[in-house]
Amino acid sequence: MSGARDVVIIGAGHNALVTAFYLARKGLKPLVLERRSVVGGAAITDEFAPGFRCSTLAHAVGPVRADIVRDMDLAKHGLQMVDPDPRLFAPTRDGRAVVLQEDTAKTADGLRSLSAKDAAKYLEFVQAIGRIGATLAPLLSMTPPDIDRPTVSDLWGLLMTGKDIRGLGKKDMFRLLRWGPMAVADLMSEFFETDALRATLAARGIFGTYFGPWSAGSTTILLLRAAADGHPAGPSSYPKGGMGALTQAMAAAAKAAGAEIRTGADVGRIIVRDGRAHGVILKSGEEIMAGTVVSSADPRRTFFGLIEPVHIEPDLAQKVRNIRCRGTVAKVNLALDGLPTFTAVRSAGAAAASILGGRIHIGPEIDTLERAFDAVKYGEMSSEPYLDAQIPTLGDPSLAPAGKHVMSICFQYAPYKLKNGDWATGRDTLAETTIKTLAQYAPDLPKLVRSVQVITPADLEETWSLTGGHIFHAELALDQLFTMRPILGHARYRAPIRALYLCGSGTHPGLGLNGGSGANAAREILKDLKR
Amino acid sequence: MGTKYDVIVIGGGHNGLVNAAYLAKAGKQVLVLERRHVLGGAAVTEEIFPGFKFSVCSYVVSLLRPEIIRDLDLPRHGLEILPLDGTLTPMLNGDHLWRTNDYAHTKREIGRHSKLDAEAYPQFGQAMVQMCKFVRPILGMTPPDPTKLNWDTISKLLFLGRRFKNLPYQEKYDQVQLMTMSAADLLDQWFETDALKATMSASGIIGTFLGVRSPGTAYVLLHHYMGEIDGAFRAWGFSRGGTGAISMAIAGAAREAGVEIRTEAPIARILVKDGKAKGVVLTNGDEIHADVVSSSVDPNLTFLKLMDADRDLPADFVEEVRRYKYRGSSGKVNLALDGLPDFKCIPGPGPHLRGAISISPAVEYMERAYDDAKYGHHSRRPYIDMVIPSLTDPSVAPPGKHVMSCFVQYAPYKLAEGTWDEKRESFGDTVINTIAEHAPNIKNIIIGRQVVTPLDMERTFGLTEGNIFQGELSLEQLFFLRPAPGWANYRTPIRNLYMCGSATHPGGGIMGAPGRLAALETLKDWRKGGIG
Repeated sequence: MSGARDVVIIGAGHNALVTAFYLARKGLKPLVLERRSVVGGAAITDEFAPGFRCSTLAHAVGPVRADIVRDMDLAKHGLQMVDPDPRLFAPTRDGRAVVLQEDTAKTADGLRSLSAKDAAKYLEFVQAIGRIGATLAPLLSMTPPDIDRPTVSDLWGLLMTGKDIRGLGKKDMFRLLRWGPMAVADLMSEFFETDALRATLAARGIFGTYFGPWSAGSTTILLLRAAADGHPAGPSSYPKGGMGALTQAMAAAAKAAGAEIRTGADVGRIIVRDGRAHGVILKSGEEIMAGTVVSSADPRRTFFGLIEPVHIEPDLAQKVRNIRCRGTVAKVNLALDGLPTFTAVRSAGAAAASILGGRIHIGPEIDTLERAFDAVKYGEMSSEPYLDAQIPTLGDPSLAPAGKHVMSICFQYAPYKLKNGDWATGRDTLAETTIKTLAQYAPDLPKLVRSVQVITPADLEETWSLTGGHIFHAELALDQLFTMRPILGHARYRAPIRALYLCGSGTHPGLGLNGGSGANAAREILKDLKR
Repeated sequence: MGTKYDVIVIGGGHNGLVNAAYLAKAGKQVLVLERRHVLGGAAVTEEIFPGFKFSVCSYVVSLLRPEIIRDLDLPRHGLEILPLDGTLTPMLNGDHLWRTNDYAHTKREIGRHSKLDAEAYPQFGQAMVQMCKFVRPILGMTPPDPTKLNWDTISKLLFLGRRFKNLPYQEKYDQVQLMTMSAADLLDQWFETDALKATMSASGIIGTFLGVRSPGTAYVLLHHYMGEIDGAFRAWGFSRGGTGAISMAIAGAAREAGVEIRTEAPIARILVKDGKAKGVVLTNGDEIHADVVSSSVDPNLTFLKLMDADRDLPADFVEEVRRYKYRGSSGKVNLALDGLPDFKCIPGPGPHLRGAISISPAVEYMERAYDDAKYGHHSRRPYIDMVIPSLTDPSVAPPGKHVMSCFVQYAPYKLAEGTWDEKRESFGDTVINTIAEHAPNIKNIIIGRQVVTPLDMERTFGLTEGNIFQGELSLEQLFFLRPAPGWANYRTPIRNLYMCGSATHPGGGIMGAPGRLAALETLKDWRKGGIG
């Protein structure tokens, strides 16, 4: 076919850009097609109020896998990270706070004011999570094994991980086996007595999921995230210039390696003939033929939105329909006239700024988090939500006019569909609820609010085409991970249609902004193309 | 006390008795010690009101292992299982869903609500049967210790691995879903009728502190599907004379094999000398010696109450035992009735009353019942599973009268405020009021009411925190993790001391498997000279 591309990649989110880079690096000429006018997918920066910019959606990295950062040489392409310490600040109702610093000993010192017992236990927790996380880490960069015909390399990979796991020693091995299916609330009560500390550390097991802290299996999510970053707080680093700067750097790296990126190119469908992908047709009618098609869109959208039903076997369709992707996260971005004063922050000025510099966790009791979750089960938004917030202007003043600030807030839980009313009206309630909740800990916040941006799960689907408004493309549940992500037997990045691949967050490992899916997919594609 | 026994079994529940029977059949001299005046533990029939025989706790049977029925020849010892035909679910809209063992009827009935569900229902049954066939051998297997790479572990893991690898793709898919999903999510994939999904998902939460939307409950659903009577899957039944009759039959078999059984013989402590169990001391001070002590009571009683944990046991084992989760979540209301309840959805008497009647009208109803429990309250509108055994087995009630057994969830052991002694009757009222919403006449026909709270189960039956399975059936407490990692093979850190209760693999339900497997392991050690 004349003018045929060797590879087209649908979507230009961070995973797609990572895939494009690795393919280009091996001499392919991937063409990346982005529907919107900007690349970056859910990792972007926008001016949401005159002079105020912030990470529109995701505001902290997963983190991006170190080897990917290295290979793409993102620093050279302009990426500058802000690494706040303390990583996390979690105010309690009685004006105290859980502060998680980079340094374990310092953190323990701080925790002593809450509970001497917990301060002592914290060290043990850090070590256990660190050890187990480190053992699981290889799983994240590994292609899930073929369940019918495990190849030698699959088995070798598993064997090695198995070896590492056995290296854990009996106690940790059993912990791993026992903790996996456990509710993260149970895990926390095995270590700590302070509710605030339990809730703060538990949050990592429920962020972005359809889980509450009492949901069985939430510990697995926490452990897998610990595999990417062993610190109990999870990463709080963010790029100067907001998350968009990360994907801009990735795009630059991909281009430099030889990839081509077209924005405003909305793929209508994937051309499939005799069970094989041959290219794509844009909504504009333009046909782009390609030897290989890679979709970074979520599995549901890829199979139902971009492929004609005739090409999908009924029981595969059934399984795709079974993929759960009920989003629970909304995003609220605030333009602030000044830095809010948190009751729990005794100090002022620079000291205060440094304490608030990382992520701010709101949700000081396990039950508060669980009740917040209860709401979404019945199609309501939480009346007292779990909030994961960040004031990026503290590390990157360029995002707002001098002396002003922006606050970026992930709101959990917000259902994809509201049982009563719709998001057109619900969005205002969501904004009020957010500000009211924050005001409990920073009383002066409401009067500092100059402008509010609300992004509901409905918007996530509408504007960013995330089916169900799920920020991770598919629910992070035990039955949708590893060899089961997105579907058992199709977890190796190859779609059940020849020459079609998946590289989005709906494939292993998913979990967050880490580029793992994109890099793993590229590896498999290159294998098939004998590169 | 001159006589010395080969084995002392602590507790005369069904597992203790099965354990004793198997050991005695192997020629051991066995003594069973039961704290109460009756045998059976939670599988017991008691005449609470004159003429009314209640299956106080456990009330239906299905999981009892066929090999045990065979080996102990239980029918000859009086075991008779009467079929429990069907499940009636009153719906919120006044309609009902009535499934029976009559395939055609059930298909028509489900079809009234959804044609699609009528088609899917038999397919779902088929899929579950396949899954049961896959899991069943595991029920008859002593769990391996995955941290030890010995031949036993490797062979068992290979066996399981190969079995899984050889499953057809669809069954692999079903299996992994079953092991990881929530009952409600799984059923959402198959059915659309809310009442059907709600009632079926109920099997997934029984005896757990989980909701129908909690991951892991799909497995418990399977666990209850495993039921087999005369080989027929998914058939539940009553035992003539109440569930106590099962224990009596097992006791009969045990006595015939030479087992000595003493009731009202509460144990003060287990005799442990230099790391070995030597026998027991009764509360009356009697000391009884034996080569082996086999405990059918839960780990909390065995290790923390009946011995000096800190002196006799390794610290990390004690830690595991303390960590083992019970969290009883269910209660029981047993009623002596002057007549039959009259349900709005199907008025009057009739065959619909002969099966289970399930108050589980909607998935959201079930989930909200769970939400109450999470925060330490009994459900304001609980899930209730009712049976009227007197319709099938008149011997349990005076002529014209009836007994109704109501299993209720959720009733959390730990209450946010107040005690169960204060809440017992109000809990009973909640249950009656909930039933009355569907069968208004219930209040007028009650002549006797027994409310069994989790606290009562703990006090009366020695079930810690009132958990009917001697520990939650959650994934992290199953197979090689039950009851403690590394101690799932019925042995304990103390030589000659074994566990044979529901707290060991494969867990609760009137199954008897723990008692049997423990006996087999004990005998294995005996042959190897590991006893004494």
